[in-house]
Order: sequence, then structure tokens, then C-alpha cells
Amino acid sequence: MSASLWSRTSSGSFRAVMLALAGLGLVVAALPVLVIVVMSFSGDGSLAFPPRSLSLRWYGAALDVLFGGDSDSATSAFESMATSFTVGAITMCATTMACVPLAYALVRRGGRWRQWVELLFTLPLVFPLVVLGVAYLLLSETLTRQTGSELGLLRLAIPHIVLALPFVLRNCLSAMHGVGRDLEEAAMSLGASPLRAAIDVVVPLMKPGILAGLIFAFIISFNEFTISFFMYTIDVRTLPIWMYSRTVSSLDPTTLAISTLIIALDVALITWVDKIVAGKGSLF
Amino acid sequence: MLLVLPALVLLLPFLAAVLFVLRYSVSGESQAIAGWSLAHYQALLEPFFLRSVGLTLKLATLSTVLCMLLAVPIAMLMAAVAQPLWRRVMTSLVLLPMILNLLIQSYGWMMVLGPTGAANSLLLKAGLIEQPVQMLFNEFGVLIGLVQTTLPLAVFPVLGSMRVMSQDYLEAAGTLGATPWRSFFDITLPLLKPGLISAASIVFAFNASAFAIPLLLGGRRVQMMGVAIRDMISPLFDWAGASAAGVALILITLVTMAAATWLTTHAVQLKEVR
Repeated sequence: MSASLWSRTSSGSFRAVMLALAGLGLVVAALPVLVIVVMSFSGDGSLAFPPRSLSLRWYGAALDVLFGGDSDSATSAFESMATSFTVGAITMCATTMACVPLAYALVRRGGRWRQWVELLFTLPLVFPLVVLGVAYLLLSETLTRQTGSELGLLRLAIPHIVLALPFVLRNCLSAMHGVGRDLEEAAMSLGASPLRAAIDVVVPLMKPGILAGLIFAFIISFNEFTISFFMYTIDVRTLPIWMYSRTVSSLDPTTLAISTLIIALDVALITWVDKIVAGKGSLF
Repeated sequence: MLLVLPALVLLLPFLAAVLFVLRYSVSGESQAIAGWSLAHYQALLEPFFLRSVGLTLKLATLSTVLCMLLAVPIAMLMAAVAQPLWRRVMTSLVLLPMILNLLIQSYGWMMVLGPTGAANSLLLKAGLIEQPVQMLFNEFGVLIGLVQTTLPLAVFPVLGSMRVMSQDYLEAAGTLGATPWRSFFDITLPLLKPGLISAASIVFAFNASAFAIPLLLGGRRVQMMGVAIRDMISPLFDWAGASAAGVALILITLVTMAAATWLTTHAVQLKEVR
């Protein structure tokens, strides 16, 4: 079919319709991001598209909101940005530290258990995010009511960890597949304990997969909106939640500049992963 | 066993939370776990919630159809492109909606579909409309948002099954004089069927349980189930009701997925028999 899509001899209507639909689909996929990036460089205060003049003034405003201003108050943008990064870091570390040993165990000694365990860890992806939001909210409210203890940042980190687990696990598993048993056995025959062999031989060889998993975990946590929307409190809120409460009445160009900065960070991270795993990474 | 432990500990809150929702949904009271009752499921039969279910099914179905209509040509184009650079550009274009924040993507649609947005100014300039059309905060806006955010979920499975598809049949059909349209409908689509069904079921399940897009692009006027559940929690504090509605939503998505799995295995078996 690839031939029929491209060859000039094939009848025009099929090729034209398919190319038009594919083009339309690609435009639709990228349109919101393109419009945000263009509008963030707008020189005028209204959000009419296309902008009449270009400027960097909204980036100045965005940096002022993020880093200037009153960073003491808990509802400030800086505070929510710090929360986003901290929760992202907790999610990265927790998921990776859990998934590296799990991947090792599954590949080396998993046997027929392996597919069931993988299924178990993919389960959170099947659940609607809204239901997960409700579920975690009920759980944490009950916990607070019964023990009186507040979860703090963990309110957000615990759900984010569960969302990131399947992606990190998949990356660790595919990295673990590339590590032959012979290198580990060689190390052990030279007198290394199994633990030493795992830490000094297997983990360094898994490094690209581990790194890709770390970055995916951060991206997932940093961009999460739905569950955070259920779980946030006055004191604990992430950057997307702060942006939402700021724009609930109307959108302003400063938010678009912040959005563009987040898009740039995401694109940079994805490009980095792409480089590390050289096309072998699996987001799916 | 020690190696599996940390991961299981991290998964534990999820399992606990799911059990909590199940237990809450049959609780006698609406804000605490006490006694047993099916009243919350009965309350779901009220017209308000049934309308929400109907709207959810309608928008999820429409968006799935549109999504597949765009995904198949995109996958064909991606399978046909040979240069690594273009392939990479297209892959990232399609991946974009999946990675980025739904809030930010909704901002983009607000500026495309809004009264002074790109779509309206384009249509006005072309003389197709005389005054701005309302495209935001109604079902149309939500539908567009749903199609866009789930496009990657449709494209990649279809692309996967397209890559393993044998080209021989198409070449044979071509030499025998079949038009591209004919070989597309008689060969390509039937061969892709299992991939298409599973991709469509994933898209449907995701869009039926959508929350951020209907909240941001539909306002309060498009009450899909996700938004309705949120309203039960926040202004109404009906925790048990929200849990029961959540279980209903899970059932809808699970039934869709199960039906799709059954259909694909069935389709594969039929092919093997032939």
C-alpha cells in the first residue's frame, strides 16, 4: 500500500483523499501547541489570532511571576513550581528504585509469573483517571480523619508514582533484556557475590533504560492534571493546578508564555530520551 | 521476593484506593463507610445522570470514529515515509498530544476555537460566515479536543499492525487491475481489522472517561461522566454517589475493552480457519 500511496501512476483520487486526511490529522495533532507558541510571542494584550506584532514581553512577565513576586505565600507560582519539581523528583526516584530490582527478578527468575506481574502493574492505566482521583481523595481523607496526620507532598506523589510505574517498568525490562547472563556469571566466577555482580555489572549495563525510565517518570508527574485536580490543597498544589486557578475566569498571555516554557522542557526531555535509547525506548 | 517488595509497596495505595471506591459505592451513608446499601446505584438511574451517560457514549463514539478516520491515513503515510528525518518529525508530531499537559493543550484549543480565535478569523476572512460561530464550551469543542488528545493512541497500534502486514496481496490486486480504493476496502482494511478494533476500543475507553478536556473545553455545559463525578465530589460532597458513578464508568470501559478483545480473537480465529 505504501507503493499505491506514493506512486504517481495510481489513480489520483485515492492518493489525494488519503494525503488530505493524513495532513488534516497531523495539523489537528499539532495545532494547539503551535498556536500557544505563536501567541506567547504576541506583542498585543488581546488573544486574537494571528497576533498583530511580536515581542518577548510576556516572557518577561512570566519570569517575573515565577521567580519575582512574593515567594513566601503558599499560593505563589514559585511555590507551586517547586512542588511540581519535588513531586517529580520523588516520583522518579521511587519508581526507578522499585522497578530496577523488579525487572531483574522478572527477567532472571520470573518464569510464568512474569506476565501476570506486568499486567498487575499496567492495571492503573485501565482505570479512568477521574475514578483514581476520587479513590485517592477518599483514601487520604479517611486517613486524615482517622489518624489526624497530613500526607503533605505525598498526597500527590503517591498517585503520580502509580501512574509512572508501568512506563518505568517497561523501560527497565527492555534494558534488562539486553544484559546477558554470561557477564554476570563471569563476575561471580571471579569471586563477586551475586549482589556485587548485580550492582557493578548489571545496573551499569541497564543505564540507558534506567535513565529513560527516570525521564518518563518525571514527564508523567510534571504534566499530570486530573488526579492532582482532585488531590490538591491550599498548601500543596502543582504548577498546572496553579495555572488552572489563575485562568479559570480568563486566559492571559503570561500563562501562555509559561505554557511555552513547559512545552520546551517536555520537548527537550523527550529529545534527550530519544538520544539515550536511540529509538528503542517504549512509551507504549 | 525481596526484589519485588519495593514495587509492591508502591502499588499498595492504588489497590487500597480501588477497594475503597468499591466499598464506598455500597455504603449506607454518603460521606462515610457505614452499613450496606445499593441506594447509590439506584440514584444513578435519575434522568440527570442517565443524560450524562448518554452524552458520554455519544461523544466517545463520535470521537472514536473521527479519530480512526484520521489515524488510518496518518499510519499509512508514516509507513510509507522512508527518510529517517521525516519519519522522526511525523512521529514526534503525533506523539505531542500524548506527552503534553492536557491543560496546556486546552489553552491552545481555546485560542483556535474561541470567538476571536484562528478558526473564526479564517472563516470570517474567507467570507464563509458573517459573525463568529460559537465553537467553544459546547459539544463541538469537546469533540475536537477528544479527537486530538487520543490521536496517538489510535495511530501507533494501527501503524504497528500495518508494518507486519504483507504487501503481496496488494501487489497482486494491483497487477490484476484493482483500483486503489478497491484494494483499500477489500484488502487493507480487512487485514488491519484486529489492530483497528483494539485501537478503537482504547480510544473509546479513554474518551468515555475523559475529564480534563470536557472540563476545560466544555465548561459546565457539557456534563460528561467525568465532570459529573467531579461535581458529586466537590460542590455536593456525595462521596458514595461519586464512587458508584465511578464504578459505572469503570464498567463501561471494561465492557468495551472486553468486547474488543473478544472481537479481535474471533476475527483472528476466522482468518486461521480460512
